[in-house]
Amino acid sequence: MTSIIFLSACADVFDDLSPSSSDKRGDFDSSTVGYHPGETAADFSVFDTLNNTFVMSAELVGADAIVLYFTMWCPICDSHMTHMRTHIMPAYPDVKFYFIDYVSGQVSIARASQLDNGYGASSVLVDDFNHTVTDLYSATMGTTIVIDKNMVVQMNEDYKDSRKLQSVLDALP
Amino acid sequence: MKKLHSSTCMKTQVFYSSLMGATFLFSSSVWSASCCGGGGAATLVLPKFFDSMYDASVGYEQYHGFWNKDGEHLSDPPGSDLNQFRITPGFAKRINANWQASIVLPYVWNDNQYAGLSSNTNGLGDATLGFWYENFDDIKCVYAVNSLEDLTPAAYFGASLTIPMGVSPYDDVENSFDITGRGFYRLDANMLLDKTVFPWGVSLSLSYGIYLERDINQEYGNYVEPYKRKLGNRLSGSLGFSYTKTLEELDTLTYTITYAALKEDEATINGAIDSTSGFDTQSVSLAVAYSTMEKDWIVRAAFNHLPTSDGLGSNFPVTDTVTFGVSYVIP
Repeated sequence: MTSIIFLSACADVFDDLSPSSSDKRGDFDSSTVGYHPGETAADFSVFDTLNNTFVMSAELVGADAIVLYFTMWCPICDSHMTHMRTHIMPAYPDVKFYFIDYVSGQVSIARASQLDNGYGASSVLVDDFNHTVTDLYSATMGTTIVIDKNMVVQMNEDYKDSRKLQSVLDALP
Repeated sequence: MKKLHSSTCMKTQVFYSSLMGATFLFSSSVWSASCCGGGGAATLVLPKFFDSMYDASVGYEQYHGFWNKDGEHLSDPPGSDLNQFRITPGFAKRINANWQASIVLPYVWNDNQYAGLSSNTNGLGDATLGFWYENFDDIKCVYAVNSLEDLTPAAYFGASLTIPMGVSPYDDVENSFDITGRGFYRLDANMLLDKTVFPWGVSLSLSYGIYLERDINQEYGNYVEPYKRKLGNRLSGSLGFSYTKTLEELDTLTYTITYAALKEDEATINGAIDSTSGFDTQSVSLAVAYSTMEKDWIVRAAFNHLPTSDGLGSNFPVTDTVTFGVSYVIP
């Protein structure tokens, strides 16, 4: 038990014991495909909860950007999604917003969660059993991704209080 | 009326104090979240007149949906089975006649099954260093109340420091299922009042905690533009009632029912309020504890329940927790 504790301690805890304010983001540009802000977004195809095929590049046509929010239908997720639906979506009519269920794996289950949680009118996408989109964008609970009309990733981080999201949407090319 | 410092009454108070320490642990354990945040613990309480105490508990917490920000209870996704298992060792040591210190360090296993995802992770939880001042010099347990003095409770005043030893979203981790701690230091001011009129007891605990603001430059292993975050101040309290049954050879069984509540204010990001954060929750615990006549061994079991009714919490998971614990007290 002692060895387990110390192994864990060495691996993970020091960042929290002595937090850093250093900006360690790398320099990324659109010449590479990836999930970091500045990179060209990787295209992907999934189903939505109405069994329609969603192709990211096709959805960008005619829109200023798309916003992807990764949900596991948890309290924090619901708080974020409610906030986004109430305060953000109405302010950006030319941006398309999608919630991605990355824990259900099946359209029917994702649809049930969508309805149970009161998001029947929202667009919900379903990541597959291999978590293709989640892995592609290094996403997890609360991850919010903005991809502009040029297919460049403009944001990839937690939703938090939405201020970062708003500033990114306000500065879209 | 003269206080009866008989073995049974004295035993009941020191034992009950220890049990309240355990109740602190029980109630605090549920402030965790298998999906998103931590297995913290609270402070131990060393019985009066004893030198030190070893304590260990195991807890199994099962998730039953959550309250959203509006207090509406929502279910977890169909096909999901979300659980957290904790082992929490602790040690308390007397500093002098009225002061004591303790440390508690949980180890946490997260076991989450969804229809399309399965995750089993583990790691340290957040540790707690605690200090208590006992504002009494003799046993406050009485057999009958004949004067105001007999109503004087045993009062403990203390402070605790939560140390972010657990794995938080701000560590180099892959996803939210790895999380076993909240990632913030927290200072708490604690008070525990305990009155026993044998065989009945009542206890009241209050705690007010302040998180320290910290820098953040990564989320789930991805570097982000650095910012400062401070979790909201938290107020928690519990009210417990107990009954002690004396067994043969003066061993005892104590039954306790405790109501606990917690409210955490909204967090701030770079000084601005994050309206998506903050929570409140309520729980009820049933506990039974067995103590030997010598008061050296205490074995306890508890069931902590958060009701699924709307309006009894917000922005927080609903769980049931079963905990078994044992304490070894050294005179």
